[in-house]
Amino acid sequence: MLQVLIQGFLLSGLYALIAVGFTLIFSVGRVLNLAYGAYLMLGGYAYFYSVQTLGMPKLPGFLFATGMGALAGVLMYRLLVKRLKGDQVAVEISTLILAVVIQAGVVLVFNDSSKILHPIVGGVWRIGSTTITNNILVAMVASWIILGGLLLFVKKTHVGRAMQAVSMDAKGARISGINTDRVNMMTWAISGALGSVAGVFFASYTQLNPSMWVAPLIIAVAVVIVGGIGSIVGTLIVAHIIGFMEIITTTFIAAELRGVFTMLLIIGVLVIRPQGLFGRGDL
Amino acid sequence: MSSLLVLDKVVKRFGGIVATNGLSFHVDRGESLALIGPNGAGKTTIFSLIMGEHRQNSGTIKLNGEEISHLPTHKRIQKGVARTYQVPRPFSEMDVAGNIRVGMMPDNLWKMITQSADPDAELTIARSVGFRDEDLLRKPSELSMGDLRKLELARTLAAKPEIMLLDEVFAGLTVGEIEQISDLLAQKRKEGLTYIIVSHDLRALEPLVDRAVAMTFGRAIAEGSFIEVMDDEAVRSAYLGQ
Amino acid sequence: MARPLLGWAIFAVAMLLLPQFVSNGTLRIIIFANFLAIFAMSWDFISGKTGYISFGHPFLIGIGAYTSAILSYRFGMPVSLSIPLAVLATMVGGTLFFLPALRIKGTYFALVTLAFMELMYQLVQVIRPDLTGGTRGISGIKTILSGAAPNFYLSFGLMFAIGLALWLLSRTRLGTALDAISMNEEAVSGSGLNTTRLKLFAFMVSALVAGLGGAFYVHYLGSIAPRALFDINFVFTIIVSVLIGGSATIIGPIMGAFFMTFLLEYLRPLLPGSERYLVYGMIALVLYVYQPKGIMQILKNLSLRTRGPQTGRSGNV
Repeated sequence: MLQVLIQGFLLSGLYALIAVGFTLIFSVGRVLNLAYGAYLMLGGYAYFYSVQTLGMPKLPGFLFATGMGALAGVLMYRLLVKRLKGDQVAVEISTLILAVVIQAGVVLVFNDSSKILHPIVGGVWRIGSTTITNNILVAMVASWIILGGLLLFVKKTHVGRAMQAVSMDAKGARISGINTDRVNMMTWAISGALGSVAGVFFASYTQLNPSMWVAPLIIAVAVVIVGGIGSIVGTLIVAHIIGFMEIITTTFIAAELRGVFTMLLIIGVLVIRPQGLFGRGDL
Repeated sequence: MSSLLVLDKVVKRFGGIVATNGLSFHVDRGESLALIGPNGAGKTTIFSLIMGEHRQNSGTIKLNGEEISHLPTHKRIQKGVARTYQVPRPFSEMDVAGNIRVGMMPDNLWKMITQSADPDAELTIARSVGFRDEDLLRKPSELSMGDLRKLELARTLAAKPEIMLLDEVFAGLTVGEIEQISDLLAQKRKEGLTYIIVSHDLRALEPLVDRAVAMTFGRAIAEGSFIEVMDDEAVRSAYLGQ
Repeated sequence: MARPLLGWAIFAVAMLLLPQFVSNGTLRIIIFANFLAIFAMSWDFISGKTGYISFGHPFLIGIGAYTSAILSYRFGMPVSLSIPLAVLATMVGGTLFFLPALRIKGTYFALVTLAFMELMYQLVQVIRPDLTGGTRGISGIKTILSGAAPNFYLSFGLMFAIGLALWLLSRTRLGTALDAISMNEEAVSGSGLNTTRLKLFAFMVSALVAGLGGAFYVHYLGSIAPRALFDINFVFTIIVSVLIGGSATIIGPIMGAFFMTFLLEYLRPLLPGSERYLVYGMIALVLYVYQPKGIMQILKNLSLRTRGPQTGRSGNV
């Protein structure tokens, strides 16, 4: 029981981290970025390349990965999303295509075999019979810190409030003098950075391979759909529902069915309550 | 003579806001009625209730003596009522003829497959709202606001309604265009079309209607000939905002 | 009407003569293109026409393929019976697929279909692996014909019949009504049409085509495995074929499927691995952002430019 509890919290923390960047884009830009999973992949591979191939220290490697994610976000916004002028379905289709393109790019550079990422933080903890790697513990703590920081950023800073304004009413924000284009670009950059940070942790939790973007994308989608549009707190709650259900399914039913609940949740919520369980919250 | 459309004590609430509050009125066959009132009086809500885009909380809506409140939108159109929208909503990638074609279609999959479209009937309807023959091939993106309103009228007329609900047909039009649409409605009225019309352009409205109902805050406050209603004390104060 | 039909006839004759001129290897590539074209047309009939984007089309294709594979391999049923049953099962699955479309559209609908596909992928591996073969799938499934040329004729015949039927269907007023749904669904019901019935019809036709394609495909390959089938890359290939060719046109998806298949094949010597998807995806992306209506529209624009604007009334295609 204790084990389920601990593992549940650890996994949910990771899932919240994975989902939050996706939520951000959805609430500010009103589009679903299906290439979001590719940020995680880029982050993971960038960290792998800089630390395990070039032998850079971990911190600069981490920053490099974050920067790559932010850059990818800005490029996606500039070259793709902005051109499609908020046509949601077109953005969805083109980001899906882009994700496959990035996947192919990764294969081209790194080939398609799986790679193991060394833990970012070594060592283990023991609580009773349960073993926890420091790595995932750090991921969970980082996730909480990042979510808290993001909440503060959105509520307290000028840029954050501008993001909030755009998320509530883009037209209104534009009329009151907010440069929505810049706010959008910032949001895409932050989302990309968050995605690649999540990617480094996610990759060290599982492994690196060119199709690793699909699973986290689906988790992010589920969290956003179930939590309702762009609520950071909703993101946190739903990440825990999904994380715990996966651990419970794996422990008590069958490991292969771990994702089934997530899918049923997506389908059920969208069909029965399309606005999400927690409705339309602000950021 | 029984009335074509009868609303009886219709109440519609959106959350805590009461959009129509026990509204009753009727329209006789061949009659034209103006629905007037300040912004937010509930005029457009009435239209969406009649069309079934929203359902009323209580009260009845009868068409030809038959209760239609339980019917979905497309069934109500088949029963003989149709509306236009304040903001025209054409099929953006179809030309004028295509838009009218959709309006004329029978609601029957088999007939839709086996019977081909009738270009002559499309042309007749297009001409009846004042399109020239060469306009049939134009796309909505090439049309002026006045033409878009005409297209909206044509598409609605194509469904052969007994009663039309016209929502702000003069909004955003030039003086010349208002005159055109106005002439068109006068013509249709002469041909026996029944309609309810909502507009802020009271001057354009006056010659087009037999009767008016003034409403504010979801209630009818005056009813009678257009002149009577406009002279009504309550109506004046509602329009001037007390 | 007469000129496009002549085009179809020329297309048929050219393709039927093809085995005389090309190698078996090329024929096998075209067989794949034929199946891809079938799947692309199935997608186009829901997503291109009505605008309800499906990201989970392999869900439908998979029902068709698995049903026929299981019935013939596990229960020894003849293909002449298992395929019709598979198509029926796919249409039942299509009804399931349709339910969300009653309430949601756009982005959300696309995501539900994606979830349907992933759900199917996981369930196929866990529920009754004795029937589905679990993660490994099934191999040794009965094939209908052997040899490249007979299979080419079969797949082409199927593709051609489906293509012609869908093309004729979309030229009727029903096709116009479905197009109208993608532009403004409320206005369609505002014209007195039952949009639920129209959409259900589109879904049923699409499921029928997906089921036929899936079933025949599995009896061509002789094997089936969940990973290759319920794969986002497969969805990608289908959607890109349609978009490149031009959606809601039926002919477009056929052109797109052939174009994409040959592009992939010609890139094979240059880029042997899955890197080909890089070039392939880039082309698709640039084309999509530049001209979302695909090759069909580019060709149309070109012919307008060279021949001048057409006179007289054109049908809505």
